[in-house]
Amino acid sequence: MRFFFLLFTFILLLNNISPALAQGTATVSGFVRSADTNEALAGATVAVPTLNIGTFTDAKGFYSFNLPKGNHTIQASYIGFESGSKDITVTGDKLTLNFTLETNSSQLQEVVVEANTLQQKLNDTRMSVERLSTVEAKLLPALFGEVDLVKTLQLKPGVQSGGEGASGLYVRGGGPDQNLVMLDDAVVYNASHLFGFFSVFNPDAVKSVELYKGGFPAQYGGRLSSVLEVDMNKGNYDSLSATGGIGLISSRLTFEGPIVKDKASFLISGRRTYFDIFTRQLNRINEGNKDYNPIPDYYFYDLNTKIYYKLGEKDELSLTGYYGRDFFGFNDSNFSFGFDWGNSIGSLVWSHKFSNRFFASTSLTSTGYRYNVTNSISDFTFKLTSSIQDFTLKTDFDLLLSKGHNLKFGALATKHAFTIGQFNFDAGDNQDMSFNSGNNYKATEFGAYVSDDFRVNPLLSVNYGLRLSAFDSGDKTYTALEPRAAAKYSLSQTMSLKASYASMMQYIHLVSSSGASLPTDVWYPSTSYVKPQRSQQVAAGVSKLFANGKLLFTNEVYYKWMKRQIDFRDGANLFVNDSLENEFLFGEGESYGNEIYLEKIKGRTTGWLGYTLSWSYRQFDEINDGRRFPTRYDRRHDISLVVLHQLSKRISLTGAFVYGTGNAYSLPVARFAFQDVEGRNTSVIPIYSDRNSFRLAAYHRLDLGLVLKLRPKHGEADLTFNLYNTYNRRNPYFVYFSQIESEADDLTLGFEAKQVSLFPSIPSITYNFKF
Amino acid sequence: MKIKILLYFLTFFFLSSCSIDDTIEMGLPPHDPQLVLECYLEDGKPMRATVLESSNYFDAPTPPLVPDAQVTIAHNGRKLDLTYNPTTEGSPTKLYTHAADEDVQFKAGDFYTIEVTDGRGRKVTGNAKVLPTVPIRSIKWHFDGAGKAMVSATLQDKANTANYYRFMIHRDNIDSGSDVNLVASDELRDGKVITFGTSYTYERGDTLIVSLYHIDKQHYDFFQSVANAKEANGNPFAEPTKILSSVNGGFGIFTTLVVDRKKIVIE
Repeated sequence: MRFFFLLFTFILLLNNISPALAQGTATVSGFVRSADTNEALAGATVAVPTLNIGTFTDAKGFYSFNLPKGNHTIQASYIGFESGSKDITVTGDKLTLNFTLETNSSQLQEVVVEANTLQQKLNDTRMSVERLSTVEAKLLPALFGEVDLVKTLQLKPGVQSGGEGASGLYVRGGGPDQNLVMLDDAVVYNASHLFGFFSVFNPDAVKSVELYKGGFPAQYGGRLSSVLEVDMNKGNYDSLSATGGIGLISSRLTFEGPIVKDKASFLISGRRTYFDIFTRQLNRINEGNKDYNPIPDYYFYDLNTKIYYKLGEKDELSLTGYYGRDFFGFNDSNFSFGFDWGNSIGSLVWSHKFSNRFFASTSLTSTGYRYNVTNSISDFTFKLTSSIQDFTLKTDFDLLLSKGHNLKFGALATKHAFTIGQFNFDAGDNQDMSFNSGNNYKATEFGAYVSDDFRVNPLLSVNYGLRLSAFDSGDKTYTALEPRAAAKYSLSQTMSLKASYASMMQYIHLVSSSGASLPTDVWYPSTSYVKPQRSQQVAAGVSKLFANGKLLFTNEVYYKWMKRQIDFRDGANLFVNDSLENEFLFGEGESYGNEIYLEKIKGRTTGWLGYTLSWSYRQFDEINDGRRFPTRYDRRHDISLVVLHQLSKRISLTGAFVYGTGNAYSLPVARFAFQDVEGRNTSVIPIYSDRNSFRLAAYHRLDLGLVLKLRPKHGEADLTFNLYNTYNRRNPYFVYFSQIESEADDLTLGFEAKQVSLFPSIPSITYNFKF
Repeated sequence: MKIKILLYFLTFFFLSSCSIDDTIEMGLPPHDPQLVLECYLEDGKPMRATVLESSNYFDAPTPPLVPDAQVTIAHNGRKLDLTYNPTTEGSPTKLYTHAADEDVQFKAGDFYTIEVTDGRGRKVTGNAKVLPTVPIRSIKWHFDGAGKAMVSATLQDKANTANYYRFMIHRDNIDSGSDVNLVASDELRDGKVITFGTSYTYERGDTLIVSLYHIDKQHYDFFQSVANAKEANGNPFAEPTKILSSVNGGFGIFTTLVVDRKKIVIE
């Protein structure tokens, strides 16, 4: 901590910052809220277009910036809301100005924001950031009609899915374990349901998501490749309302309303799948049928809650809760198998405004992820459990200084508790056969940062900062300095250049054998043997506004170095292994690419076109004989085209087309026959060559959607029609080799390659309501 | 393990609505065939080996014999050449390509080496040690409500040494093909009782032959790696596995088999 304060003092001195305001300027600050729900709008734009000055609201909806004294028009805008505009006369040193924005009457218009938002994006020092609101995601076509913000993010350049239908994020060549996913300040360790086919974020409970692909501000740390911030709705503290939807495979229901009118609100939102109801019926119908194999039970549910309390003009308190579980089970007369997994999250956030220029937010969060596998056969029972449980105390300060400086600083401490491969075998009466295995670890992670967003002059602004991170595993302590920097230079009113550098550390690691998001993946701490991962990323880009500010073109190039990447030995036992560290392999990675993005967010037709050209490699001495190999998600070309068109006030049409180079994949090149000791069943043993040396066929798909607003007697309702994979492209999920066998005598006649595709053309309909 | 059940479920759920498999054309790079050796030395049985070679995956499924392969096994300073004479045994058949007239006579601690060469200059070598027999300590069975029995067998592991075991159950006779074929290490049960078990599959009156092999690490690693390699072909979540052969210069296994065997009748 001493280091942190010294650094902070040093930066203050370096910039010769006076506590007095510069002559002729004043600080304008306030909150931007929804007029309907009084909820803070994070990421709203507040700007004075004539001066080309502006900022975004923070997570609490708070903004603050300096203005010259005089008469000005200030505008506030946010996706899905009518813009607000106020004429002000600045005479004193400070001015409080709050905005309440009305919701747009047309749903499609909800994604339309004023052109100055694009202008502000052009002028923002930050780069490599993608923001998405639930309103936007709800319009786009979705698999089975299940709206998923994370999957919608996969349509942005530089962001890839792991495979067909998957909700994992692979950002700029990073793995799914290298994303810091946060729900209201709390880390989410496994952000997916059902093997990654659905994300854990219920769209009715979530307001917006923001994804950093690079240029990470200093307040973020702990992962190498991305930061995904998910903001939950606070609830309506004006009136009680209910929102819900009935879909093909799940339904959801949300209640929100005031606890104390205009002061406190609540939100409770739940979602559950119901295909287990159908499969149980199917099993019941087929009882007694010897040729029928019963279908196991599977369902998932999640529950989001939030309580928000406005303590006064300067203080706000919010309490967030999330609990979600997937459950898979199979039972028969002598066999009982259960597998459940999920996250449990709690977050208490206190926001305090010291003054119009000094704002603080302090949070206490608890987050946990756990999976349990239980299996009982007669007297024998085994149970396998792995988990991670964190408690984090974090505080962030935001201080607006004179001469164009906006200082952010803060610190956090996290206590981690890891349970890894806790295996218990209970042999009932035969206790001499019973045994346990597994490891428990405890660790503490620290972070402290300071950064300055400095507007050097009307053309040049910089954001520079430093993060000090540390990790104590008990037997080893690691510390690291993580410098961050970003700069923006305006070549003209419509064109700017940007560049950034970020150094990141990752002290906890995902033990995953598959590269996919499986529930059995478990987090493992850095120890004296397992050293922390490190990355450095540089990015540079150019942004240009076209067509009177209606179109924004962005081109970014990036290069990322990754040290101490983790993989596992061939055939490693990652489940029941007291010496798990012996299975780890350490290597390096690099990824680089170019992302082109063209977006239009004004008019009846909006959308974006993204193209990414990228490379992603890993190198381990023990894999591939030390030669580098492409990652599974190395994708040379990736195109996404998203179009939203408002046909009338009640009907909107949407379409999304994606194209991507096929995933890199490992296939056997040869085989040999293995008779084994007995020689009764000769097996064909595949011989693999270089890792990921094959490519699956290219992936492409067109999804179409139509939203029809209904006219119910009460409230609002709509029907959403989706057609996933419109032209029924058989996209490859994986390829395997199989034997061609004679029907007469099962003799092997030859071998062939088979490609498995998951989803054909799938229509879906969802009924959404709000009253 | 049970993850497979999950995969079956996923397969049902996600694949039931579409025709899943399409046969595709897949070009593979040329493969330089390598020698593949299987040789299990067992007390009282003739020295026999199978030498084949690996094939490109889409080659015709005929056994790729290597007629000019020469196999030599050495033991206690004595070298014995095995003669090339492809024969089959049993039904379904097991193929042997090389054999000697001599039976193997084991002593715990004995050391054997093997060398295979052929006209193309390929060479495979390996070695194997005779491990002490580990006796089956007990065999139990237990009936469920439907009258089916599960069988469990125990052994006492020797402490402070890394031990590996293979467990098999045959019905009626050992030529019938095993019902159960498992391997395990003592990593989590060093020096303690280790139990192998079956599912509820047996009925009253069944005659079972329970075999417990004390195997070496090379045998264990090879068995696991071939199982993992098979699993990886067709499992989208699995990483490919390199074959951990117990021999150098090619693929395969050269090992000794020491076994304790008991016959039981389920009553």
